[in-house]
Amino acid sequence: MVDSILLNPIYIIGIGLGTSFILGFFKSGRFQAHPSAMHSERIKTAPWVLMIGALTVMTFISAEWLWSFLFNGQLPQQIYTAGFEPPFSINLLMGRNEAFFTLMVNLVGLLSGLYLLDKFKEMGTHALSVYLVLIMGLNGIIMTRDIFNLFVFLEIASIATAGLIVMTSDVKALSAGFKYMIATGLISGFLLIGIIFAYYFGGSLNIDSLAEANLTTVQGGVFAVFLIVVSLLLELKPFPANGWGIDAYEASPVGINAVISSASAGATYYVLSKVLIITDAKWYAVTAVVGIITFLGSNLMGIKQTNAKRMLGYSSVGQVGLLLVILGLSEQLGNSFKFIIFGIMMSHYLAKAGLFWLVGIVKTGILKDWGILRKKPVLVFFMGTFIFALLGLPPFPSFFAKWTLVLTLSAAGLNLWVGLILFGSLIEAVYLFRWFGYVLKLDADKERSLSTPFYRTFPVWLFGLLSYYIGYVASVMVPGGETLGMFYLPLAFVGFLFIIDRYLPVWVKNTLSMAAMALYGWYYMAGLSEFRMLFAIIFIGGGIVTMIAGYAKSGKRVGFYPFVVMMYIGLGGLLLSENILQFFISWELMTLGSYVLIIRGKKSMPHALSYMMFSLGGAFLILAGFGLAFAGSGVSSISLDILKNVTRYSGLIYTFLAIGFMTKTAVIGLHIWLPGAHAEAESDVSPMVSAILLKAGMFGLVVLMLAMGSQSLGGVSLPYLLGWLGAITALLGNLMAAFQEDAKRLLAYSSVGQLGYVVFAMAFMSHLGWLTALAFALNHFVFKALLFLAIGGVVMRTKTKTMYEMGGLIKRMPLSFISVLIGIIALSGLPPLTGFAGKWLSYNAVIEKGWYFQGFLVSIAGLVAFLYCFRLIHVIFLGQPKDKFKNIKEAPIAMLIPQYILIGVIMLFSLMPNMVLKPIGEFLVQYFPDGALQWDGGTAVSSLGRWSGVAIMNITIGIFGTILIWLLFMSRKAVKVKQFNIFYSGEAPSRPELTHYGYNFFAPYKKAVGFLVQPLVTRFWDGIADILHSISDFVRRLYNGNGQMYAFQVILFVVVFSIFTIG
Amino acid sequence: MDFGLVAVVVGFLLILIGIWGILTQKNIVKIVIGFSIFDTGLHAIMVGIGYLKGRTAPILDSAVSPADALTSIVDPVPQALVLTAIVIGLGVTALMLAYVVRLYDYRKSLDISSYEDLKW
Amino acid sequence: MTFEPIQIAWTLLGLFIVFNVGLLLTSTVRKIGARVGKRRGIRFFQPHIDLIKNYSFRTNFSHGIMFYLAPVFRLTGGIGIFVFMPIIYGSAHFSNFSFAGDAILIMYFIFFGTLGMALGAGEGAMPFSAIGISRGLSQVTAAEIPLVLAFLAVFIQNNSFSITEIVAAQQGGFLNWTMFTNPIATITAMLAFLGAMMRSPFDIVLAPQEIPVGPPTEFHSSFLGVLSTNRAIFPIAKTILYINLFFGGATNWPVLILKAFLLYMWSVVVGTVFPRFRTEQSIRWFMKYPLILGILSILVLQLG
Repeated sequence: MVDSILLNPIYIIGIGLGTSFILGFFKSGRFQAHPSAMHSERIKTAPWVLMIGALTVMTFISAEWLWSFLFNGQLPQQIYTAGFEPPFSINLLMGRNEAFFTLMVNLVGLLSGLYLLDKFKEMGTHALSVYLVLIMGLNGIIMTRDIFNLFVFLEIASIATAGLIVMTSDVKALSAGFKYMIATGLISGFLLIGIIFAYYFGGSLNIDSLAEANLTTVQGGVFAVFLIVVSLLLELKPFPANGWGIDAYEASPVGINAVISSASAGATYYVLSKVLIITDAKWYAVTAVVGIITFLGSNLMGIKQTNAKRMLGYSSVGQVGLLLVILGLSEQLGNSFKFIIFGIMMSHYLAKAGLFWLVGIVKTGILKDWGILRKKPVLVFFMGTFIFALLGLPPFPSFFAKWTLVLTLSAAGLNLWVGLILFGSLIEAVYLFRWFGYVLKLDADKERSLSTPFYRTFPVWLFGLLSYYIGYVASVMVPGGETLGMFYLPLAFVGFLFIIDRYLPVWVKNTLSMAAMALYGWYYMAGLSEFRMLFAIIFIGGGIVTMIAGYAKSGKRVGFYPFVVMMYIGLGGLLLSENILQFFISWELMTLGSYVLIIRGKKSMPHALSYMMFSLGGAFLILAGFGLAFAGSGVSSISLDILKNVTRYSGLIYTFLAIGFMTKTAVIGLHIWLPGAHAEAESDVSPMVSAILLKAGMFGLVVLMLAMGSQSLGGVSLPYLLGWLGAITALLGNLMAAFQEDAKRLLAYSSVGQLGYVVFAMAFMSHLGWLTALAFALNHFVFKALLFLAIGGVVMRTKTKTMYEMGGLIKRMPLSFISVLIGIIALSGLPPLTGFAGKWLSYNAVIEKGWYFQGFLVSIAGLVAFLYCFRLIHVIFLGQPKDKFKNIKEAPIAMLIPQYILIGVIMLFSLMPNMVLKPIGEFLVQYFPDGALQWDGGTAVSSLGRWSGVAIMNITIGIFGTILIWLLFMSRKAVKVKQFNIFYSGEAPSRPELTHYGYNFFAPYKKAVGFLVQPLVTRFWDGIADILHSISDFVRRLYNGNGQMYAFQVILFVVVFSIFTIG
Repeated sequence: MDFGLVAVVVGFLLILIGIWGILTQKNIVKIVIGFSIFDTGLHAIMVGIGYLKGRTAPILDSAVSPADALTSIVDPVPQALVLTAIVIGLGVTALMLAYVVRLYDYRKSLDISSYEDLKW
Repeated sequence: MTFEPIQIAWTLLGLFIVFNVGLLLTSTVRKIGARVGKRRGIRFFQPHIDLIKNYSFRTNFSHGIMFYLAPVFRLTGGIGIFVFMPIIYGSAHFSNFSFAGDAILIMYFIFFGTLGMALGAGEGAMPFSAIGISRGLSQVTAAEIPLVLAFLAVFIQNNSFSITEIVAAQQGGFLNWTMFTNPIATITAMLAFLGAMMRSPFDIVLAPQEIPVGPPTEFHSSFLGVLSTNRAIFPIAKTILYINLFFGGATNWPVLILKAFLLYMWSVVVGTVFPRFRTEQSIRWFMKYPLILGILSILVLQLG
């Protein structure tokens, strides 16, 4: 539209006002003036169409202007009223920001208007005009440059809001509206005094002229500034003087909520940013402080909420708080300021409107009733989109904004702010993910149906898709965005999977996904080397092998494959990353994908939530660490190499990153999410998340340790600490595994222990140590995938995970038995299988390094592993079979194939350990030249001892074979006996299940050492959660629902604010 | 005596009385009245600020010729603002009273503590 | 060291000697026990006769695959320890297949048999077997705790895992034995030794009176024969490991047999004197003095 004539923005105001005037001529419909009134009389569609038309034109004008600003080099334009120039008249401004913000307001106004079709027909034409006036007022707030005019528009907006509430037929809403009126009345009173004093001392009502008047340097002017700032802040509902606002959120009809949250908050925020120019630096700082208090306080209140609208209200207020922080720190953020605001604002805008619209579709605020949304999977998809967008996960705009925010704040040395912002985001994640968990897992009311007319779902769709598009736009704008091309094609495939998800059967999608991963590995990973290649084999190769098990499923398995592939893209992305942005995006993608996979398990809801919390906490630590590294390296680059050049904060960076990565490897203290998450997951998900996903944390540690070497914090060597931590994790993890009754939990705890070995070995920072770690990691990948698949197959058939309910399954499932047998031999490190490699290497490393006691703990852990291994195989496969499993079938062939592939791998490694360990050793020499292993053919020779995998294997097989043949020969006539033939003389006991010894298998052991595995860590984290919830529950009693109390809080806020600013 | 100053002081007093009324009265009608007093105080301050001693109203008629208007009338802007503020205050008060009517319809109570449904 | 086929023959010869020594030791110990109790006791070659008898029986039933494999695992474990260990220091013929690995290999190979045994008994499906296994595993892993420390101490002291090198360091007079150069580690190891020998006070695993059908009695005929063969070889093989690590090794067969006898008697003597522990008591016992001594043995090396 190069030469098109831009419509004068005054038409936005004019059309809004004019149309609402015309609407008055239509038949008004019944206005429910009395509670007994019925909703019988509905208005016609015509007035609604008229309003939508007006909103469309208003949207169009904003869009047209924005387009011209962005692409046609349009200059900002002043619009003068009454034929005079300011200060003698009121002027409006249409600039880039104004066009953008009015477009936001008008678009959400238009869509909400559409969405509210039904509601408006009920409420009558009055509501239509008031709604239109509300939108018009918000436009005015944005465009005006006159401070008194601003007051007028603010009043129009809040009167219109209250007016819309008064038209509902719900006494709760009415009382909320009344409280809202008292509070906003007081606030606008303060604003008015401020304005008149500003006029008195500044001589003008024009904001730009007032800015030149330097009011803050004048004694009385400070008072004016104070009143204006405090009342505008109050309009934004700062914590804790915001009960009136929260109640209004809960009371308003949802479509209007979407406008209040998305548009009003945006507009009022913009006003503040516009008016703050009449102040000075101090007031920016004050704004930031109010913002952070609001952000933290509101999110804290959010975690105790049970009603969706109120919870979203707290979340909205919290998000505005975050915007205030950014505004307050705009000076420090410099050039990045606009981008950050854009990202956070857009995510909040799209997500909050979308979520409020969803509330209206679900028609219930009670969070626990939200399972019904599953009837429309597309809406679940968009709900996930909005929640992820709100929390700043990739690929949404707020992710890039938060990323830039953290990096910029770190570079400016504002580390406390980074910490507080990330902490607040974590609290917000608690309630949003809990809610999402309810949606995915809780039972839906079968009786209820979900009505989703087009006019209600369309806005959700539009904003959902816009979130992705704007995310893309933001990703291009962020520094380093040009390197994100590596995600496009793989993520496009994920998108494709989403589209076909509901139509194709599982085997087609499984094949497609496997093929895609193979291609992904082939095209992207082929050029990798060293560590990255090794991990690529585990991630992608292992991923494909475990996915074979997916063929065992029937039906469509909706919502599975996109996330599997997303997780693997994340894992692969870690290996391909060259800068911290790519790395962090990959990390988050992996977390997201795996979260959805984990929550698919039947009882996974709480475990998936704790997984997400620990993952996000870890991710935020990583982010903070990257931020510090960015600041501490002295070069402004986002390459991963900055970790090598860190000159400041190195101990802190090391600590943050290590802890962040170790939330994934589940080191003791951060492990409590793992058992539930891995045990409750589906049978082919468990091997993925346990055998493969945990290695992501290990890869992070590899990157960290190679780049930063050994660091110390407060005089303590951090690798030394890690060594102890790893050793203790190994021991406690294994001990806990030994006392589980649940087979998959046993394996999950075993993973905790095994990854403890890995952390322990990596902490050596020596050639042998790392060789050990990699041997452990490879081995753990193979046997844990094998065991989880085998046990998964058993669980699939028996429908129970409790071991003592099984027994004697060897007769029915011999192939699974062999898998488990091989798996536990490899796990426990018995020669001749591959597990012994790690044990032998670790002894070498321990003696060489002199970490005897840590090494001792790890050895003990190995012994304990023996206990749970035996328990696993005995209680499930040996002993007396149960009657109910008499006719059970072998695991499905699709589950067995990957198991036997993995057994093949184990056998190959056991026979030729040099094939794997030698090349690893060769590239390790670059990093750790000393103490390398010598290879004499297939024999490994260290300075301490020797080990020949081939010889051990051959000799063992020789002896084994000879004795076996001898024994077979000696007892060649033996026939198999039936279950009770021998000890019960052929009589079946009345309760055969009692003859299986399986419950509390290591009772004496538990008696002796059980004190070591008291769930102290769980209690600690539960305690933290309890404290947060109690604080939340205590503080939210401020909002006692009394209008006078709310008014008092507003006054108190003003008083306290004055003490801190001008007092 | 400076009427401007008097108006400002009285205005602030009225504001305080209004706030006192809003915060202490349980009857919602009285709260609305408190709010009106608060508003009136605001208007008084605005007028007081714009008042210049010895000058007349900013209306050009036979008493004030356009030529000496600059020296003989008070600042017209606050007066214009106050008119607008009064109109808005009227709207707000009317809407509040509408609320009172509707609330009373539902609960037959004018006590503000009867309307604490939404909280926490 | 390269592998020569003739090596197999020498190893088998060594195995045969050890096997016979083991059987004779068993009978000797039982005879001593009987004489102490004023009985005549069994004949010296009674274990040989029993073994031949067991192998001569023909069984008519089996409980399943693992039931077969268990004795095989068990005996493979016993023989495995033997063949991966150098028996006679300085003898090329009796170094067996020690080129394949070192002391760490032996430490872990011990469990190979234990695992197989446990599995086989498990498939026998007698609940008491499972109870025995549960106790046995709990106890043996507890006994290994001080043992690991003692072994670590020896490895640290010699800076080697190679049994040959460790024995070499102990040559030239008995004062060079680990027993004297590192007494604390030796004491620790000897305490741990008790736990692995299945004698009182650590014999609740077998619990011969209370649980008449513990793991060994589950098996019969040739299954039992294989297990008895292992019971002859395994304790001696394990004893040889101790001799090598703590008592100077042996340069010829008579010395080896003498030392093995004395070590074996240690557990016998303790077993006759002390009453039996319950499982959790024995676990706690290993976690007290043996553990403290074990830690001390390493601390001494680290500080000294």
